[in-house]
Amino acid sequence: MTRRLAIAELLASALCLWAAWYHTPAGALLRSVGARIFAVRTSAQPLLAYYSAGVYGGRIAAAPALAGPVPPAQALGYGVQAALADLDAGERTQLGLSSAQPPQIASQLRALAVRLGSEEAAVLALFCGEEPARYARDHADSDSLEDLARQLPPRYADRIALASQALMLGGAYALSWPLPESVHITSPFGVRDHPVLGGRKPHNGVDLGVPIGTLVRASGAGIVRRASSDSQNGRILVLDHGRGVVTVYCHNDELLVRDGQRVDKGQPISRSGNSGRSTGPHLHYQLDLAGQPVDPLRYRATKPKVALGAED
Amino acid sequence: MRWIFLPLGLCALVAVGAHAAADVVGAQVLWLVDRADAFFDAIFSRWSFTAPLVDLVGLAERTVFARGVALVWELCADFFIALPMLGYDERPVDEELALFRALSRESGKRPSLRLVRPLAALATGIAGARSVARMVQGSVQLALHFSALAQLVAAAVLLSLLVLFVPRAALRSLEHADGLKRPGVVAAVVLAPLVAAAVAAFLR
Repeated sequence: MTRRLAIAELLASALCLWAAWYHTPAGALLRSVGARIFAVRTSAQPLLAYYSAGVYGGRIAAAPALAGPVPPAQALGYGVQAALADLDAGERTQLGLSSAQPPQIASQLRALAVRLGSEEAAVLALFCGEEPARYARDHADSDSLEDLARQLPPRYADRIALASQALMLGGAYALSWPLPESVHITSPFGVRDHPVLGGRKPHNGVDLGVPIGTLVRASGAGIVRRASSDSQNGRILVLDHGRGVVTVYCHNDELLVRDGQRVDKGQPISRSGNSGRSTGPHLHYQLDLAGQPVDPLRYRATKPKVALGAED
Repeated sequence: MRWIFLPLGLCALVAVGAHAAADVVGAQVLWLVDRADAFFDAIFSRWSFTAPLVDLVGLAERTVFARGVALVWELCADFFIALPMLGYDERPVDEELALFRALSRESGKRPSLRLVRPLAALATGIAGARSVARMVQGSVQLALHFSALAQLVAAAVLLSLLVLFVPRAALRSLEHADGLKRPGVVAAVVLAPLVAAAVAAFLR
């Protein structure tokens, strides 16, 4: 009896160590240190990627150039294709997606979503297989990828990261433009000479030159994560669209929604203005993917014209 | 070998539970960081000399900052309750029970902040047991494709951890807290929310 108990304790200890080794930042820290000491490769993710079940960790896959406008129904297909760009040909073949184009991927996803009940589970099935996705769906509390990912063992971590990239990029492709397409960009994304502070500084969004009072629309459905005011960003709105996609609207004259409110795609959310640190009426529109600002024009086939002599 | 694998197992169980707890409140931490960021931005942007502080945690950094807060919180919790598990010294069951009763009685007579540690060890131990059982269930199910067996193994793992490990984790933490010279205000501040988060992680 005592011997059996000792074996049970040994097994239980081994399971706890296995879980801690692969499933906690402390374990990842030890794995990274061990790998450095013994000069070997480690599969440990960056420490911060251990939150949200490893979803939205690491770098953002490069978005391939678009040949034409993205139909909203195919946005997820484009997201999957963009996420696959990071894989080599062998891995793409293994997934059965070596030569698939966004329309075919989108139709495959629709069929999977019908069988599994959600887009998140469908994308998970595409990268991890249908059985793991079905298992995750049956055991998760919600359809969010974070919840689904928590149900799967550590060996799926890499595939889950790909699925999260696909969902996130699909979300970015599905966004609309907050102002009419005819509005010119007065300051593009990237490093520029700062018009107020001087010196070369990164510009994390695009500035769209519009008169004060122009109606600004939500570029996607989401929740207002922040509706506040300060003398730098002016009246600022932050919309969380889920799947790691966040859009930011600064220098507004008036906010039409409040903190925590759910908004629909295309819903008026503010009137543009010249509030905060600004040298003229404009809307600063920013797209954050997994917490990193990216050029919103990367995910659009039709791009507004850039005005000459632009400044913030 | 027991002298090494039992303390390591207890430490790992509490660490897994602490991570499950920290992970479950990720959205709330992000919400708190957003509120705090908006509040401080409104204050700092009033004066030119404090204005640069607005960009310290800018819009781009808030998610990383929120996850960083969760990471630091979890590592602090590991330091306060998981690391002391390595000092676990196994005794016969009746001796452990007697020690548990004595320490509980002592703590009951003069309740203090030091009680938060064993409470947190208990809560994270339970959350950790659930987390480990869930990982085992997923691994067995997806390797053997046999649902009933996966459920049975997960139930056995959960029960084993709840019976063999969680009480020992609570006892070791109680023993460690009893030996501390100071009640540990910082530990209490770090660990009190972790108890609630661990309960949420277990129920999820």
